[in-house]
Amino acid sequence: MEKDRNSFIFRLLLTLFVILAINFFLPRMMPGDPFSTTSADEVGEEIIVMTEEQRLYYINYYGLDRPLHEQFLVYMKNLMTGNLGRSIYYKMPVSDVILLHLPWTMLIVVCATVVSTISGVVLGTISAKNRKNGSDRIIMMGMITFAEIPSFLLGLILLLFFSVYLRFFPLAGAVTPFANYNGPVEQAWDILYHAFLPVVTLSLSQLTGVYLLTRNTLITVTTKDYIRTARAKGLGEKTVWNRHALRNALLPVVTRTGFMVGTMMGGVVLVESVFSYPGIGMTLRSAVVGRDYPLIQGILLVIAVSILICNLLVDKIYGKLDPRVGI
Amino acid sequence: MIKDIAAIGNDGILSFIQALNINGIVSSIARKFSKSTIAKTFSKFSIIAKIIAKTFSKFSTEGKFGILGIICIILMAVFAPVITMYPPQKVTGDSLEPPGSEHILGTDELGMDIWSQICYGARMSLTIGLAVAFAAGFGGGALGILAGYMGGHIDQGLMRVIDVTMALPSFPLLIVISAFLGPSILNVILILVIFSWAKPARIARSQTLFLKKNDYIIAARNYGAKPFYLLWRHIFPEVMPVLLVLVIGISSHAIIAEAGLAFLGLGDPTSKSWGMMLNHATGFRSIYFTPYWQWWLLPPLFMLIFLLLCLAFISRDMERILDPKLKIKKGF
Repeated sequence: MEKDRNSFIFRLLLTLFVILAINFFLPRMMPGDPFSTTSADEVGEEIIVMTEEQRLYYINYYGLDRPLHEQFLVYMKNLMTGNLGRSIYYKMPVSDVILLHLPWTMLIVVCATVVSTISGVVLGTISAKNRKNGSDRIIMMGMITFAEIPSFLLGLILLLFFSVYLRFFPLAGAVTPFANYNGPVEQAWDILYHAFLPVVTLSLSQLTGVYLLTRNTLITVTTKDYIRTARAKGLGEKTVWNRHALRNALLPVVTRTGFMVGTMMGGVVLVESVFSYPGIGMTLRSAVVGRDYPLIQGILLVIAVSILICNLLVDKIYGKLDPRVGI
Repeated sequence: MIKDIAAIGNDGILSFIQALNINGIVSSIARKFSKSTIAKTFSKFSIIAKIIAKTFSKFSTEGKFGILGIICIILMAVFAPVITMYPPQKVTGDSLEPPGSEHILGTDELGMDIWSQICYGARMSLTIGLAVAFAAGFGGGALGILAGYMGGHIDQGLMRVIDVTMALPSFPLLIVISAFLGPSILNVILILVIFSWAKPARIARSQTLFLKKNDYIIAARNYGAKPFYLLWRHIFPEVMPVLLVLVIGISSHAIIAEAGLAFLGLGDPTSKSWGMMLNHATGFRSIYFTPYWQWWLLPPLFMLIFLLLCLAFISRDMERILDPKLKIKKGF
């Protein structure tokens, strides 16, 4: 067991290292010279304003003339101290840009995690209770169909229907621009109102996994002997389901929730683009369009690290919840 | 002898037609044909038809729907020049014309026909889906089989690489890599292959490890079968069905990833894919305040969802047919 956990952490570290390496080598593998395009606004307009002397100065300044392993060490040192470079578009440190937008992403991801876990468990329980019944089949078919539609297409459909056609929800943004709030309640309401559709989209895309897991585990659990014992000693159906069956079925759901956050961090880039929601996903899109390379790299790092942290947390929590896994 | 073949041929065609639910008129024609001398030439075809019909009838209603849908899309892609009146990248009408007799689905902001963009876009999605799926599915599968067969350090090393590849957050990395490498179809395919070979490799490896211990493999080896012969004749055919299911799954992931990248503006700018159409339409200022989205945004959206649902139905059914106990977990 000890060895298993060590190899798990080793694998996470290895993955982190690979991501860092990709982040480090990609810009250096790019054809061309980063200095010839820094001052050109358009692609066709390649004005080389730097003299050879200036170019050499910058190469020396960024340390590009030093051997690769030294550059890598400097890069790692900068990362450890939180220095991610400067954004070309925003003209400020990348870490500040990310910190500015990360809360919005966290808001919708956390909300979507809560919503999809709770509704997935509820629907899964309904399904498992009514197995071989009409409602189970209907929920199952609906869920399976939903699972196949990628989140950004689902988001587009929701946006077109609820915001464009019915005009129930706002088209873009996270707050009403230039709004004067009469208090924190109104502000919170406005934020929730804007976050509603992105949260629904993300939740729907993750719902099926939780639902299927809950349903299938519950069905397995209810055939166990201790459920029969619970029924035999005269416990009510409600107690049997809630205290005996559901409790044991929720263990794998915990794991699933952790990994779900990881998947969502990946999908959130597209969903935020659909709703023009000002999180890091939207920032990544504009950074890609504007070729703001330091910002792209910084955001990738944040997303990757948060996914890895989630996986690590799942591992830790699972060990605490399930005594059989042991620590 | 000839009678036998004719009987087989008859049966095959009949069952095929019954499976397709085409009414009796066609089947009577088929019967007449198979009784004549052409029967011999038909026999081979009809055996193939019989196999196809048998597999086809195993599919559920959704599965049949999926197969027919995919066939429609493939036909659309192949015969794109025949069924469209205008080339997809040429200005052939006014800007943002609503659907009408001139342009079946209207035009986009540059006056290009949307119906032809949809038809030619099908080529893009299918090409990327198929190319990635076959390269990653069979390439990864071959690696997995080799590693599983040889074992030892090679196997261990490959497993570590697979672990890391599967743990990488694929979509953010896809965005970053294609942003750096520049948008082109080949780059997109290459990157997608790099991110999707690990799963087939892992499953092929575990299957190979399981198969390797079977008595008939050991017997064949003791009779002096060379490793290549063993892998090709005994192990590969056994692993093949699982790989096929995975290939469908990978192709739908590849199509989603391509559409997503194109939607973000990282698609090949010289081609018109469905994702690119979504990108152009959503990038158009005030698209949501005008009725344009109805004929500009909805068609590519609908086609993408339709294609993905068809693929999903097929892979679900194939999984069921293959082995009800076999669970191939979904995941990117």
